[in-house]
Amino acid sequence: MSDIPPAGAQPTVAEKIFTFVDERVGLKLLAAKMLNESVPGGSRWAYVFGSILLFIFIMQAVTGALLMFYYVPTADHAYASTQYILHDVDYGWFLLSYHFWGSTAMVVCVFAHMSQVFLWGAYKKPRELIWLVGLALFALVMGFGFTGYLLPWDQRAYWATTVGVEIMDKIPIMGDFLARFLKGGPTPGQMTLSRFFVIHVMVLPAALIALAGLHLFLFRCAGPAGPFRGAPAELKAKTDYFFPRQIWKDVVGMAVVFACISAMAFWEPVVLLEEATPDPGDYHPEPEWYFLFIFQHLRLKMFSGEFGQFLGSMGLPGLLGVMLMLLPFFDRNPERNIFKRPFALIGWVMLTASIILFTVSAIINREFLD
Amino acid sequence: MQPQLKSKVRCLDREVGEVSRVIMDPLSHEVSHLVVSMNGAGERQVPMGAVQAVTDDLVQLRTSSSEVMGMQPFKREDYVTIHEVEIPGLEKHIHVTPGEVLVPFPELERNVKRRAFFANLTYVTGLFIGLPLVYPVMKFLMKPMYAPLDNGWLKVGNIGKIKTEDVGTQFQYKRKIKEVYMPEAEIEKNVWLVKATPAVLEKVYQGKDREFLDSSGNAIWTNKKDLPFLAFSGKCPHLGCAYKWRQHKVLGQVFLCPCHLSIYDASGKVLDGPAPRPLDMLPIQVTAGGEVQIIDMEFKAGTKSQTRIV
Ligand code: HEM
Ligand code: FES
Repeated sequence: MSDIPPAGAQPTVAEKIFTFVDERVGLKLLAAKMLNESVPGGSRWAYVFGSILLFIFIMQAVTGALLMFYYVPTADHAYASTQYILHDVDYGWFLLSYHFWGSTAMVVCVFAHMSQVFLWGAYKKPRELIWLVGLALFALVMGFGFTGYLLPWDQRAYWATTVGVEIMDKIPIMGDFLARFLKGGPTPGQMTLSRFFVIHVMVLPAALIALAGLHLFLFRCAGPAGPFRGAPAELKAKTDYFFPRQIWKDVVGMAVVFACISAMAFWEPVVLLEEATPDPGDYHPEPEWYFLFIFQHLRLKMFSGEFGQFLGSMGLPGLLGVMLMLLPFFDRNPERNIFKRPFALIGWVMLTASIILFTVSAIINREFLD
Repeated sequence: MQPQLKSKVRCLDREVGEVSRVIMDPLSHEVSHLVVSMNGAGERQVPMGAVQAVTDDLVQLRTSSSEVMGMQPFKREDYVTIHEVEIPGLEKHIHVTPGEVLVPFPELERNVKRRAFFANLTYVTGLFIGLPLVYPVMKFLMKPMYAPLDNGWLKVGNIGKIKTEDVGTQFQYKRKIKEVYMPEAEIEKNVWLVKATPAVLEKVYQGKDREFLDSSGNAIWTNKKDLPFLAFSGKCPHLGCAYKWRQHKVLGQVFLCPCHLSIYDASGKVLDGPAPRPLDMLPIQVTAGGEVQIIDMEFKAGTKSQTRIV
């Protein structure tokens, strides 16, 4: 191997340290195992999203930890400490805005990653468990968005949470308990902030690290699914290892995402509204954009009344979730080519189109609210 | 039977050497080639197709020795060992090891009978540690969930502020709250007052006074049906946003909630939108000097009937 020095040459200090560790933990073998993962059919840009998600998560953890040096999660200081980060701490505006736009990027990339594995039929046997754990990760990402939104304690934060928790209250039987449990009382207040804070900075990150680890472990057990068409001989000819081509693509993807998030943080830094109170003044409550489509479809006449509301806020999203969970167990057809799976294709297009439609109409609707 | 390492390799004419390595196909997970060490004349890569039969210690080829000599020489640098690469499930297909690889079972372990018992003991111990914690942990987390209701009267302003009948006027007020360990704080809230014409009053009260009960069913207050002032909780009964008094193109002056566009008339009745019930009326008192007092109540949003939570 090339990294073994020629006989007789004195090893450098770095080489000695490396050999010392290698003898004890088998670094070379470990690195080889990590990097020599064969990618059937060769590396592709379509596979970059999982790695990008890991990258975004690490950056969120870093920026989040930095924000906690100043942020105080109490009803009387949360707003002031966030304003302090934005206006007084050097580069505070950048770190907070990076964290904010990072969360948006996370949602975008989770959607891209889900779409990729769905369209490629990568959830099918033997990858059912990867898909299930993936869905749990999706829920965690949404949980991060929902809990993090409250922390600045401005009007936007307060009202998004108020409405969000009221929606949770509509879960049959346990709703009231869950909503109070999450709020730590009948209405949003200090206890809500404490709870959301702990969930956002402790519970969810721990769960995400554990589940992402499991996701990757399962992914390694099954191996990459590879392209959805092509004869075995052709796939074999194009196969390469994770390193270097796929890692190169992943790294380019991460750099692009980093540049986009930084640019957004730079040009559209976070601006807080007034401090939270149960009196919104002229503010029109609205959730974060990736929840807008749910918010908007609740405006439809068909989701009015007690039952309609349950249907719109819990029933249909819940049904969609259950369908996605059951998908790999009902869709037993081994065909992975998306162009030979018309229902899957139509379903994906319709869902994506309606999410876009409702999101856009929610944005258009803003103008009509004086 | 799969070929064994160190097996002798025999051609049609003579023995040529022994199996020194085995090459797997990463896609089919089957053995694709044998590497034959040619008794000192280098190594050759023999495809499995050339193998006629495999027995315990012999691989019989269907080719001649000269054909094997002419086969592709084995180039080690074109391969990696299976320990250095991640191919899921590959190990399961390899039966080319020279038989089983064993280590002795420790002396002390040999006669342990109750393995299942000890395994279960671990779980039971875990349960004994975990279960008693469930109740205290739940109680710990649930402490602030159910706050007692407060039926105190709060001053919200003077009725003189209302100029027109059947028009919603917002009154802001402050409410003191003391949450757990926090210092007492004031939060801003609002209530909508309507100076109602008899027609609107009739719509609201339908000839009956409105009684407010506490959770055990005792009367707290009664809004008399002839008091021409109505107070509505500022919280939209749909999902808890705050609504406004607005001009609507078709319906005229209405209460409109910007969140999901529920619309209510001056009596609180739902005219349009997803709201499941009318606006929540609050207990109201007006002194001779026109000072308005209310009991600050909040009801659970999204339900047909009212459930008080504050
Ligand atoms: C924080 C969230 C997530 C992270 C960090 C993550 C990470 C990864 C990574 C690194 C891979 C390896 C290969 C690749 O990138 O395609 C992967 C594969 C996969 N992921 Fe995720 N993932 C997440 C969420 C999800 C979600 C929401 C789903 C679907 C519901 C999902 C389903 C899958 C599947 C089916 C594969 C296998 C793809 C294949 O074999 O081609 N993941 N994930
Ligand atoms: S909260 Fe008022 S309409 Fe939904």
